[in-house]
Amino acid sequence: MIARLSPAERISVAALGALALAWIIGAGLSRELFFDPVLFGLGSGAIIAALAIGLVVAFRASGVINFGHGAIATYVTYVYVSLVGDGQYPVPPIPNPLAPIEGIVGIEIVDFPTFISLGDSMGKVPALVIALATAAVLGLIAHFAIFRPLRYAPVLAKVIASVGIMLFLQAAVVLRFGARAKATEPIFPDDPVDILGARVGQDRLWVLGTVIVITAALWVLFRFTRFGIATRAGAENERFTTLLGFNADFQAGVSWVMASVLAGLVGILVAPITGVTPNFFTVLLISSLGAALIGRMSSFVIAAAAGLMLGVVDQELFRLELEWGWIPDIGIRRALPFVVIALAMVARGESLPSRGALTVERLPEAYVPRITRGRMVGYGALLAVAFWLTVFAPFQYRAGMQNSMIGVILALSLVVVTGYVGQISLMQMALAGIGAFSVASFGTQAGMPLFISLPLAVAAGVGFGLIAAIPSLRTRGASLAIVTLASGLAMGEIFFSRPGWFGLDRGVKTTEPPVLFGIEFGPNSDFIFGDGKIPTGGYGLFLLVVGALCCISVMRLRRSRLGEQMLAVRANERAAAAAGVNVAAIKLSAFAISSVFAALGGALIAFNVGTYGTDTFGIFASLTVLAFAYLGGISTIGGAITAGTLFSEGIGIVVTNEWFIDVGPYTAYVAGFFLIGTAVYNNEGIDGFQRRQFHQLGRWLSRRRGRRVAETADV
Amino acid sequence: MSERLLTIENLDTGYDGVAVVRGLSLHVDAGEVVALLGPNGAGKTTTLMTISGMGQILNGSVTIMGRPVPRLRQAHRVARWGVIHVPENRGLLYQLTVRENLQLAKTSGKVDIDRAVDFFPALGPLMNRRGGLLSGGEQQMLVLGRAIVAEPKLMMVDEMSLGLAPVIYEELMPVVRRIADETGAGVLLVEQHVDLALEVSDRGYVLNHGDLVMQGAASDLLADRALLDASYLGVESLED
Repeated sequence: MIARLSPAERISVAALGALALAWIIGAGLSRELFFDPVLFGLGSGAIIAALAIGLVVAFRASGVINFGHGAIATYVTYVYVSLVGDGQYPVPPIPNPLAPIEGIVGIEIVDFPTFISLGDSMGKVPALVIALATAAVLGLIAHFAIFRPLRYAPVLAKVIASVGIMLFLQAAVVLRFGARAKATEPIFPDDPVDILGARVGQDRLWVLGTVIVITAALWVLFRFTRFGIATRAGAENERFTTLLGFNADFQAGVSWVMASVLAGLVGILVAPITGVTPNFFTVLLISSLGAALIGRMSSFVIAAAAGLMLGVVDQELFRLELEWGWIPDIGIRRALPFVVIALAMVARGESLPSRGALTVERLPEAYVPRITRGRMVGYGALLAVAFWLTVFAPFQYRAGMQNSMIGVILALSLVVVTGYVGQISLMQMALAGIGAFSVASFGTQAGMPLFISLPLAVAAGVGFGLIAAIPSLRTRGASLAIVTLASGLAMGEIFFSRPGWFGLDRGVKTTEPPVLFGIEFGPNSDFIFGDGKIPTGGYGLFLLVVGALCCISVMRLRRSRLGEQMLAVRANERAAAAAGVNVAAIKLSAFAISSVFAALGGALIAFNVGTYGTDTFGIFASLTVLAFAYLGGISTIGGAITAGTLFSEGIGIVVTNEWFIDVGPYTAYVAGFFLIGTAVYNNEGIDGFQRRQFHQLGRWLSRRRGRRVAETADV
Repeated sequence: MSERLLTIENLDTGYDGVAVVRGLSLHVDAGEVVALLGPNGAGKTTTLMTISGMGQILNGSVTIMGRPVPRLRQAHRVARWGVIHVPENRGLLYQLTVRENLQLAKTSGKVDIDRAVDFFPALGPLMNRRGGLLSGGEQQMLVLGRAIVAEPKLMMVDEMSLGLAPVIYEELMPVVRRIADETGAGVLLVEQHVDLALEVSDRGYVLNHGDLVMQGAASDLLADRALLDASYLGVESLED
């Protein structure tokens, strides 16, 4: 057993053993300090472990790291809570098909149902059955509508689709139940019990026991039954498994149902203890991803054990931070999942087992921007319209333009790193946060002028981006997505949410308007054109210039030698290396360039909103940015511009609100839906779609012209 | 006459609507070994894939024990009828152990793993090793062993010699004959090593560029070596 371990693994095993020994001695010396936290930690660790084994099931079913796993747990839990509470079954928000007619006629024809009443408040058992049936249906939809069509798709498309599930289900929960926390009656007996003198809620131990039983059952199922072995086989190579007579598709579907029901069950069992909020389980999921990753997304036992450990260590550090004042308060505890993930990655240094695919679908096309006279006219016209909207249009359009231009810059940061080099980054908004908080620290607090503070902020972003990019040299695909997600989380926890580093004042930060050559041009500053309402056009004009410069530089990058090398790395790292491309250098430069845009975008957000907190730069913001960038078109500049118009409160949304319908509350929901659709059916995003339409139009026109020429020739 | 296991009549098959194989007719009976020969790109693998339900039948028919080949989504059914297909790249599951690979020989019922060890004693001590860690010859033994314990009625083996040393595939070839003789299974053998394949076969078909160019008893094909070489358009004349 020991002989099979690598040196790094042997060291970690030895370190773990020493730690355990020290811990046991500690527990003997001080029960409060070293035993009680373990007991409490096992309770929270059980939730992490339960989500982690669900992730492993889903990965084994279809090679997908399901970022939507927590959202499935949340949705099912809310269904259960609603059924137990007042017997109401939520109808997923579906657009009323009669809405356009109603809009024209001006009367509401039918009241589209939001809930179906199933009588009064329901017993726990029927509610559990209905809620878990809902989970099963969600699992089936996830498999047949989303991940089955994506079987042979690049990892990026799968990650995007699962992010889409997360956004979609969370938005559905908020739309139906609101963002407030919900509580429900206990399922397990909750009177506390004494264990070696420590008092702990009995319900936590029940949850722990349930998780252990489920883990053992899954282990037996996948290890020893023909169904389990065949499912593993199907995940490895679907074609070979089919040749042996197994229906790999059916088996993956069953696994998806299992994963989904497991998620729902965890949510329902845990909800009475912790209460539930729309993003409770998604936040926990990050720790679970770390645990599942330690188990290489394939071992239930290791994943569950790692989940429990994370819970215990978290509690222990919490306790020690309280007890030992000399521990620096730099957020080590909250950054723990990242540390664990990074260590797991470095120690293992190998990629996750991937689904053996017959063919891998191509990545979205990264068109070379060609500059023709026609296009120059087009760009000019676009700029003119943008200029008018930014400076002279009514204030809501001006605000929309400002948000969109920042969105374009943030999307460009993803075009470089994800679109051109194929590295999935889920930390872009954290880098933006570094930019934002730095520009406030250097500019507003330290009083540096803009032309020093802004470059310094960008440099800070690049520095952090490069540090966070180091794991990308050893990991790729879905593993890298998790590492960057964890990096983003760690940056948030260590830097943004505490007073120490960037001097947050009561959870918010303030940036004063930018000044250049003595001219103040913030969104609230006076400006000579426009109606004088806030926001004035000056800042928008600045954003327009910066945004256009960013677009041009990415355009030049794509046409440069570096850009070609980036695409070579994206297409095939080994082949690129064999052709003399320094893959590591290319990846790092991509992350650096991407960080420039991200940090710049963040600094521009800081000036735009003036006062901001941690949430603006949280992980959900990062996921949403990636979602919009992919929706627009991840690998083209046109895609970034499209993404900018779609951005929350961007110009596209403003126009829709003003001219058509108020989509405000549905933005995340609709975005999630279209994101899944884009990932599954059109990986080039809206920009690629338009491009194809244009091409078809062009071909149609030239055919007509050709025919006319032919007719003339006949005469 | 023994039972007809596989009948292909006037088959056109290929990819994306383009025929790779045209107008192929062949049959395999119980207990016989049939060689399907031809140079690279002749359409041999495509034919086998089509028999297993993973190809696109553009014209003609493929009948397996009286049943037409199902469509792609139902391709797993073919194996349940007793057709074992050992694909070109061996069809081994690298993440699974040897034992687990053998357990997947049948979709239901008991699997007699010892039978595989009877044929290939070398597999015995390797039971708990992962498939990916076996040598090429061991891998080929494993997939043939798996095919044996599956107790197939029809067995298709694609390019068994690919990537193996001559000493190894010269040992494996006679096992194929033994399977047909001992179990009464029909075997369809795709090979590039013409002599080797024909030595263990009863009959042979030669494909070239998607067309059936020659067929007959194995001994006749071997006897008229010049014509056989010509049917390959000289491509294989450097071999052997």
